[in-house]
Formats: sequence, C-alpha cells, structure tokens
Amino acid sequence: MVEEKKISEEENGNGPVLTAEQLAKEFKEHSVAEFFKKNRQMLGLTGKIKTLTTIVHEYVSNSLDACEESGILPEIEIKISELSEEYYEIMVKDNGPGLTKETLGKALGQLLAGTKFHRMMQMRGQQGIGASGCTMLSLMTTGKQIQVISGTAKHSPFMAEMTIDPKKNEPKIIKIEEIKKEFTGLAIKAKFKEVKYQKGEQSPLEYLRRTAIANPHAKIIFIDPFGEKTVFERTAKTIPAKPIEVKPHPKGITVDELLTMAKATQGRKISSFLKTDFDRTGDKAIEEISKNISFDMNKDPKKMSWEEAEEIIKSFKTTNFIAPSTEGLSAIGENRIEASLKSIVKPEFLSVLTRKPTVYKGGFAFQVEVAIAYGGNSGKSSGEKDEQTGQEIKRVEVMRFANRVPLLFDAGGCALSRAVQGLDWKRYGIKNLDNAPLTVFVHMLSVHIPYTGAGKQAVSDEEEVMEELRLALMQAARQIMRSIAGKRRLEEKEQKKKLFLKYATEVAIALHELTGKKKDEIEKKFHAIVLKKLKLEEKMEKELEQKTDEEIAAELEKEAEKEKKGKKNKKSAIKENDGEE
Amino acid sequence: MADDVKAKDAEVIKRLEGLGKQVFDQIDAGKEPSIELPVRTLGNIFFDRKSKTIKLGDKTSQRQFLNIAHTRKFMQTTLVASEIKKIINQNATTSIRDLYYALKHTIADTNENSFNDQSESDPLIEDIESSLDLLREELHLAASSKGVIVGNMKIKDGKDTIDLTRMGSGGWGIPSNVEPERIEIKDLDAEYILFIEKDAVWKRFNEDAFWKKNRCVIITGRGQPSRAERRLVQRLNNEYNLPVFALMDADPWGMYIYSVIKQGSISLSYSEEKLATPDTKYIGLTVKDVETFKIPKEVTIKLNHLDVKRLNEMKSYEWFKAKEWQEEFALMKEKAIKLELEALSKKGIRFITETYLPEKIKSKDFLP
Repeated sequence: MVEEKKISEEENGNGPVLTAEQLAKEFKEHSVAEFFKKNRQMLGLTGKIKTLTTIVHEYVSNSLDACEESGILPEIEIKISELSEEYYEIMVKDNGPGLTKETLGKALGQLLAGTKFHRMMQMRGQQGIGASGCTMLSLMTTGKQIQVISGTAKHSPFMAEMTIDPKKNEPKIIKIEEIKKEFTGLAIKAKFKEVKYQKGEQSPLEYLRRTAIANPHAKIIFIDPFGEKTVFERTAKTIPAKPIEVKPHPKGITVDELLTMAKATQGRKISSFLKTDFDRTGDKAIEEISKNISFDMNKDPKKMSWEEAEEIIKSFKTTNFIAPSTEGLSAIGENRIEASLKSIVKPEFLSVLTRKPTVYKGGFAFQVEVAIAYGGNSGKSSGEKDEQTGQEIKRVEVMRFANRVPLLFDAGGCALSRAVQGLDWKRYGIKNLDNAPLTVFVHMLSVHIPYTGAGKQAVSDEEEVMEELRLALMQAARQIMRSIAGKRRLEEKEQKKKLFLKYATEVAIALHELTGKKKDEIEKKFHAIVLKKLKLEEKMEKELEQKTDEEIAAELEKEAEKEKKGKKNKKSAIKENDGEE
Repeated sequence: MADDVKAKDAEVIKRLEGLGKQVFDQIDAGKEPSIELPVRTLGNIFFDRKSKTIKLGDKTSQRQFLNIAHTRKFMQTTLVASEIKKIINQNATTSIRDLYYALKHTIADTNENSFNDQSESDPLIEDIESSLDLLREELHLAASSKGVIVGNMKIKDGKDTIDLTRMGSGGWGIPSNVEPERIEIKDLDAEYILFIEKDAVWKRFNEDAFWKKNRCVIITGRGQPSRAERRLVQRLNNEYNLPVFALMDADPWGMYIYSVIKQGSISLSYSEEKLATPDTKYIGLTVKDVETFKIPKEVTIKLNHLDVKRLNEMKSYEWFKAKEWQEEFALMKEKAIKLELEALSKKGIRFITETYLPEKIKSKDFLP
C-alpha cells in the first residue's frame, strides 16, 4: 500500500492521489466556490494584468446591463488605487437602479446565481467570474470583505459590508445600515492582491476606452492609480434598442441542450415541444422530422432518452428550415459608431459600415459592424518618432468587440483579427498595415458568439462570419482609400502650386533682365497661368479618379460574384466525388 | 577687329533676349511657357560623311515650366541666359565655374538654392549654345583648359608674343579662348602635330626634345581634351595643313578620346564643325603593336568587364566602322588585353621616342 502510494505521488507530482471515494466526499464538502478557487485558470483569472482588467469588465458590464434594463443612460465611474505592491482597491460607481437589501446577496455573494440557462439573446455576458466572483477573489487574495452602497428609486440608500462563504456558496453580510445620503445607483469597493496595473493595450484604461466606443450612450469616468482622470463623454442620448430574446433555431442546438429544454417544456408531446419551443419549426418541418426518426413524436418530451435526442438532432441537420429570424439583434449603428469614434479617436478620415444581419451554421443570427479610422489620433503609439517630420510613428490598432464587449486578449487566435490581417490592404493604398496610422473597429454581434474557449476572448472562424467581415472591411477600406486619395491629391496640388510660384519669381527676375518688362507684370502673368493649369489638372484628376473608383466597384462586384459561383462549383464538385465513391 | 567683336556681341545679346521674349510672349498669350531645345543624346546625332564630323540631328524637346520634372531646369535656363547677358554687357569673360557662382543664390522665402552644383549649370550652357547656335566663346564663357603645347612656333596673345621653343619642361598652357581674334599663330615650322593622351608621356617627349629632332608640335589635353586644345589643333590643321597624329593608350578609353579629337563628342555635337579635326590619324598604341614591337606580355593589362562593354559600344559607332578599326577591336577582344603608353618603357626609357614613333611614322602604320 505504502509503496503504491509513493509511486503514484511521483507520477502525479501534485501531492497525494485521492481515491474515487475520497474525491466524491471532497466534492460534496466543497461548494462551487471552492471549485472556483481551485480552477482560477479555467475561469480566465490568469496573469496579474489580465485579472485586473477582467474585474473591471465584470463590474462595468453589470452596471451597463442594469442601467439599460431600467432605461437609464449609464454613467459609470471607476477608480483604481494602489495600496501597496500588487495590492489594489477598485471602486465602481454607477447611476443604475441599485440593489435592494434582498437582492444584494444573490448579486454579489453567490456564484452562478443569476445565470439562466442558454438565453437566446444578444448579451454582454460574463467573461468568467461575474461580480460575485470578484467578491470571492477579493476574499481569497486579501481575506477582506467588500463594501457596497446602494440606493434605489423607492428606498433610501444603505451601506453594507459583505463577503461570500466559500464552502456554502452563500453571501455573508457582515454589516448593513441605512445612510443619510441622496444616492441612486450602486457603488462597490473591493480590494485585490496578486493583480497589477500597467498601461498598455490590455490595461483597464484601454478596456474602458473601447467600452466607451462600443457604448456611446454611456459616460465613463476613470481615475487610474496615478490619479490621472479620463472622461469618455456620452455621444448618444438614447439607450440602444433592447435585444429581443428569441427561441433557439433547430440548427443551432446540441443534444445536451435539447434534453435540458425537453425537461423544462410545457409541451406534452415531442411534436408540440419542438413546435412551440423552437424557432422556424412549422408543420411542414415537423412532418419532415417525423419521417426521419424511429420513435413516436407523441411521446412525452420529459421521457426522451439521449439516443432519441441524438436522432432528433440528426434529423434537424437534414431538414430544410427557414433561416432564423435576425430581428433580435441590436447593432450599435453607423451613426453612433461614427460619433463615438470621432469623439474618442478623433480621426482625420472615418468610414463606418453596419452590414445587414445574416446567419451562420444555418442556426445563429449574427451581424458585423466595422469602422476604419485614419489619421488624427488613430492607431496606437509606437513610442518612436519619424526622423524627418518629428511626428510620432503610429501602428495599426485593431479593436475587437463581441456584443459590445471589447476583446483585449488572445488577438492572435481570433477570427476578427484574422479578417483584418487577411484583407489585401495594398489595394486600398495602405502599403504596410502594421505601420499604418489606422484604427480598425470590428464588432460581431450574435445570440451566440462562437468563442474559441471559456475565456471568451477570441472568436472562431466561421465561414459565413469571415465572409461578412471580408465584405464589410472591403467596403469600408474602399471608402477610406477614396478619402486618403483625395487628401493626397490636395496635398500634391498645394505642393505643386508652391513649387511653380517659387520658381515663377526667379523666372520673372531673369525675364525682366532679358526683356526689360516689369518684374511684377511677368510674375502676375505666371501666377495666372499656374492657377489655370492646376484647375485644369484637378478637373482631369477627379474625372480619372471617378473612373478608377467605378472600375474598382465593378471589379469587387465581379469578384464577389465569382466567389459565390466558385463556392457552388466546389460544392457540386464534392457531390460528384461523393457520387463516384 | 574691335568692331567685329562689338557686332558679334550685339548679335549674341539679341538672341539671348529673343529667348526671353519668346517666353514672355507665351505667358502674355496665356499659353503654357516652354523652351524648345535640340536633343543632345546619342539618339539625335549622326556622323556627317561630308564634313567627317559628328553632327546634331534635328530632334528637339520642349522644356516646360508647368511640368514638375522640368520646372527647376526651366527656371535655371532663364537664369543662365540672363546672367550671360549681364557678363557680355560688362564686356567681361568668365569661366563656367564663375558663372555657376554668380548664379548660385537662395531662392526667396525658401531654403532652396537656385543651383546646387556646377553640374547643374554646365549642361544648361550647352543647351543655350546649341539652341541659339552660338559658340561658348561667343557667350564670353571659358571652359577651363588644362592642355600644354610646345614646338617650333610663336603665339601672339594680345600684346604678348610667346616663343614656344623656349617653354622649358612645362610647355605653354593653352588658354581657354584660342579663336583667331585672340590668338595668332606665327612662324610655324613643323611637319606634323603629335597629340599625346597623357601628360607624363608628353613630358618624356618634351624632355627628349622630340619636337626639335622631328620637326613637330607636341600637345596634350591631359586625358580627355577640352575645347581649347581641340580648337587649336583644328586651326593648326586647317591653317597650316599639318597632319595630326594621335598617341593614346591601347584601350577603349584612349581610342574614344582619339575619336573625339577626330570626329567630335556627343554632348558637343552641335559645334563639332568648329572643334573636330577629321584628318587626325591614330598612330598607336594598338594591340597589334604588342606583336610587331615584341612587347613583353607581362606589361599588358587584362581587359575588365567595363572595358569589354565600352568596346562593344564603340564597335557599333558609325565612325569606327572602318575595317582596320573593326580588326583592332576584334584583336583586342580576342587577346583580352590593353596596353598603357608607359608600358613601352619596359623596352627602354627612350624606346617610345627613338624607336617606336619614328618607325610607325616611317612605315605609315596608322589606323584611320
């Protein structure tokens, strides 16, 4: 026995190995909170910088959600203070509906409390731990409780000190008392260790900057550990349309999800369950499904077996459903993106495009929005200066968003970044994307964002999503190209004019010497000729540019057409091959 | 003579003013100003069989003020023309380097110079010469000259008379203007002119008093000769009917210099009738000499790729089409060697003056 254990220890390297019985016992004793404690990596809480940004995300997206649901234009203030090395206090204050004494515990002191199963709507979503997770993390790293002040429209505000019982996964309210203060909203103060504030692309400041861009109806105020205050003003005066919760489309469902839904349904037969709980399941579709399954559709859905559920999912795949409704999506919109980018990025040129919603994998509605900002404060600083002009050299900045949430991590593994990198920028007058003063905004919204992992920081490349992104970027890039070309033309014209007039003065001196005519008179005549020439050139260039642009447009159309045909051909080719086999 | 000069100057000024007036008339009529100039490239020259010199063809190009690529040159061209007018009016003569400095200034309200380098103003002088059909000397401009000459003759330069038999080891420095109005040749007693490519070799000939023993005039342009040396040789040839022999390195560069003396150069093709001496004959060196005079192999030099390239270009020139030249080129290519004049010293320090040259002249072993 002793020997055996020893070997196992060596193999495992993680300390004593537990038997199955011991494991089961431990699992019972340990609550979800303990599980969380042991699995920080899986919950996206790795890295001191990333953890801090994730905490800010959890609080801020809670605030945004709460405000929007109550029809309040959000105003959120975030303050991060450094207490000592790798020890920080975070304060987040909003003007939302606040929490009542009754809801306080569940909202901030119980893990997994609010999470509903598979809501088919466009949501910000947690990136891992939620606000209760933050309470938990605070306790774990500092042993301290969090402080909350909440005021609702109906009740006078109260102050609470609370934490979480990690074994029971229950809130632990230490102190709660009413305070005499005019306040509506929620303010949370929590302390964390093993985190680090650092400026840069993955910092809380950058997270908030991008959040402000994607949420132009929110005012966000940030005070960093050095006391520096940044205010992102609101550029939209109304709350965006609320996304509508839609029934799941049969093409976008798994066996496990189907079974869970079957347990909760009001339907008494499988046929009525499918018809009422799913989108686009009409009589015709139900009939088609019934032909492809081996059991009776009149069966009670609550008694459906795993194998039966598998059969239904299989039949879903071959059934022709109408594509899911795209009505539930709520895009930011071109005007709002334009206004917020103008306010925050202050570019010289900007092109914004919101595509029409469409569907990927046959079952999920999605939509993409892109914007390309050029010049001004676009792009990120390289820290280097151009030797000739003395101006700072900018590098391209790609801002990724999923359902209005900025994605700051895992850029390399994200389809949104790949779509940007994959565009042939040279065609649009950008010789080297990496060194271009560009900010590229890419937003995907969907009832179901196809994240690559539990960290929810990267989107996987679905064919239809990639195609939509490509078309959107192409259109936006073309527009930017036109603006840049126009600017270059203007600059060139100005330079030419300067050049000609400069030399005209010299020629006038020489001609005066040679002909005896008055210098001023000669110069005047030269000026007239220069201006006449430039006007003529401008007219010709504009005509040429228009022609080129029309040609490019025609070319793009043709290419899109070709690609469609190519896909069809490819598919039919595969079919033919299948036939031969 | 003074009246001649004055009349000539008046004519030159008229032409320069004409250039200015032409531009003024264009802008006065609201037209885009441009100056028409003869094209001075290989594509627009031809070998005139009658005069046996290189001549300029009739292709022209327009230098346009409103063309970004031309505008600076256009400005500079008018500045050069007006500056030359000033010089003539002051009755002065300046070097082309003086002219460059006179023209160089900072353009008002900029940090740009009207001219950055003499290489910018020199070709514009040639543009003006060729488009107005005037000689450099008529523009009161002097190219720097570097050549020297000695021989049994006298030169009257203004009030001074110079005896070219008494010039010591240095020889008489040829002035930049050798036009008859300025330089008079007197008491010439010589049978031929020997044009030597290199100064060091010329010095050997002068030290050995070759010109005295052989009744000739020896001249060098110290490499590529300038206009003055070529003009003087032409005058000696024309006015005294003296044959001209060229003594150059046996390499493509020496042979090209010979062709410039004889037929003229591409860039000055517009005035070669006043500069070239078609009677010139090539006395040496040749690759053939290596065999004839049993010159040791070790003093020859291998042709490099640039030599071969130049050789191939020259082979196709109209004025090198003679059978003898084509044979010489073929031999040079075949042997892949070249030979410097100094290499003959291997056979003895006076071999070149006492053996090589007299034998060549005696046997009339020339290339045309």
